[in-house]
Amino acid sequence: MDLSIVVPLYNEEDSVRPLHAAITEALAGLSLPGGAEILFVDDGSRDGTFAVAEQLARQDSRLRVVKFRRNFGQTPAMAAGIDLARGKYIVTMDGDLQNDPADIGQFLSKLDDGYDIVVGWRHERQDRLISRKIPSRIANWLIGKVTGVPIKDNGCSLKGFRASVIKNVPLYSEMHRFIPAMASIAGPRIAEIKVRHHARRYGRSKYGLSRVYKVLFDLLTIRMVSGFAARPLAWFALLALPFFLLSSSILTWQIVAMLVGGKTSLPIAGAGVFFGALCFFLLFSGAFAELINRTGDMRIMKASLLTAEERRYRARTGTEPVRDVEFSR
Amino acid sequence: MNDNVEISAIVPVVKLVDPGGRLVRQYLEVLESTGRPFELVYVLDGEHEEVLEQLWAVARSEPRLRVIQLAKNFGEASALTAGFENTRGSVVLTLPAYAQVEADGIRAVLDELRHCDVAVATRQSAGSRSSAFKTARRRVFHWLVHVATGQTFSDVGCGVRALRREVVDELPLYGDQYRFIPLLAARRGFNVREVPVREAEGDRVHDHHSVTAYLARLLDVFGIVFLTRFTKKPLRFFGTIGSVIFAVGAVFLAYLAVQRLFFGVALADRPALLLTSLMVVLGMQVFALGLLGELIIFTHARDMKEYSIERIVN
Repeated sequence: MDLSIVVPLYNEEDSVRPLHAAITEALAGLSLPGGAEILFVDDGSRDGTFAVAEQLARQDSRLRVVKFRRNFGQTPAMAAGIDLARGKYIVTMDGDLQNDPADIGQFLSKLDDGYDIVVGWRHERQDRLISRKIPSRIANWLIGKVTGVPIKDNGCSLKGFRASVIKNVPLYSEMHRFIPAMASIAGPRIAEIKVRHHARRYGRSKYGLSRVYKVLFDLLTIRMVSGFAARPLAWFALLALPFFLLSSSILTWQIVAMLVGGKTSLPIAGAGVFFGALCFFLLFSGAFAELINRTGDMRIMKASLLTAEERRYRARTGTEPVRDVEFSR
Repeated sequence: MNDNVEISAIVPVVKLVDPGGRLVRQYLEVLESTGRPFELVYVLDGEHEEVLEQLWAVARSEPRLRVIQLAKNFGEASALTAGFENTRGSVVLTLPAYAQVEADGIRAVLDELRHCDVAVATRQSAGSRSSAFKTARRRVFHWLVHVATGQTFSDVGCGVRALRREVVDELPLYGDQYRFIPLLAARRGFNVREVPVREAEGDRVHDHHSVTAYLARLLDVFGIVFLTRFTKKPLRFFGTIGSVIFAVGAVFLAYLAVQRLFFGVALADRPALLLTSLMVVLGMQVFALGLLGELIIFTHARDMKEYSIERIVN
């Protein structure tokens, strides 16, 4: 199978039909000799989303509908869709009609060009400025700086993936926003293309501003696992370094003071000892992390193995972390 | 293993046992009365010579009674897991090794399972004198569970539970978690219902709890909060706690530094310096634990499915 389109749905009963129609129309315009499938993942909706989708699936054999037992969140819904997808390429999108399925063709041609991940960029975003656009601008800048994968629009769900790459990327909690950064461990070629973005027609937006602290912790996690996944000891050692310097200078000063003047200060020497202990603790944490890595599943590394054919692509697409690909409508 | 059973009843024998040995026959009668093909499996967690004798006496004439003997005592969760793994019935019924509820209650629980995924019995004590303290204790515990997890149950301690096989297949159990099967199942999105049943006479005999038992229950609640809320995001738990401790320590430390630099208050004889640096150190350590947790999740996320699928169409 050539293509799997994965759409998480949560309380979108009004959008399901138009969405399905739009995707079907978009697919009709593409040449997919191996066939395509649409995966609707109903994330425990409380309205009639599943009933509508099930009805559609009865008429359309290409449509598969997955029903969750309860609401698990957008990332698990995407993860389930990706796990079940059978296509060579996987395109994910939102179920609220803000993404336009007509853009799918652009994603496929970029994937054909040899990119592993193609990210959409809602350059004319139809959302509120203060509550949505500005926070997301800041978040994207921060994510780019911290993860080293400068993508203009991490929040855009419209993304295309080579299945062999994305299926090896661990997706959990709220990590769907950071897929490119997560996948960057495996060294994929990432392209960014402009996509259309429509104002919301049905239903309500499901995001708020409350997730700032979560994003910060997630970022830190990604920084750790993506930048130093292979060498956690080195990472923790780096963390321990300032405390080592602090502790050793305090202790040296106290020892010298004792030798010269014959008196030390208990609070100061004690603080030095504490920081020294922290330094040890962090070093041992690093050793512990090595152990975790050794026993854990680093399947994501497998995605980094290139086949000869992919090398040919790579020669063509270059190896910059992200490449902006302009396209005209 | 018997393939054409519908109900697999599992009795983990851990600590408390039925002294007379009449319970086996009672369970067999109840199961017989459902008219559905069943098996009754006793899992002996460690040496239980007496129980084994009683069971053998019954099993000689009753092929539907099976006994699984664990090599030593591993705890109730292991006993249950051994039972789950060695049975095939589409309905799994767990029963306590001593009388907790009247026989008709077990049938009521089994009947309720036709409408849900997990049915648990909640004991309604008929007696008045002995149960006032017990009821209060139960209330407090379940209130704690409610506050901690947001879920309302009224008797998680009752061992009479009926579960569909897919629930058992999806719930990993270890340690003391068997107590929270209904909670964990609801968390996973299964439909859990409570069935009020009459409490058995004999249940009140086992009504003494030590201080350590209370502490163990409290730890259980803490563990379940962590497991249900932060399993996938350890850094949110440890990170928040760690950053708060670290921030308080760092601010205080900065204050001491300012006092030393601009107001000439000597650091050398201020014990506060010890406290603040200890807080900074502790905060960092808790935070580092969160990072380690994240690394564990990251390297195992592929094996721990976060979602639970009810149906796939097409």
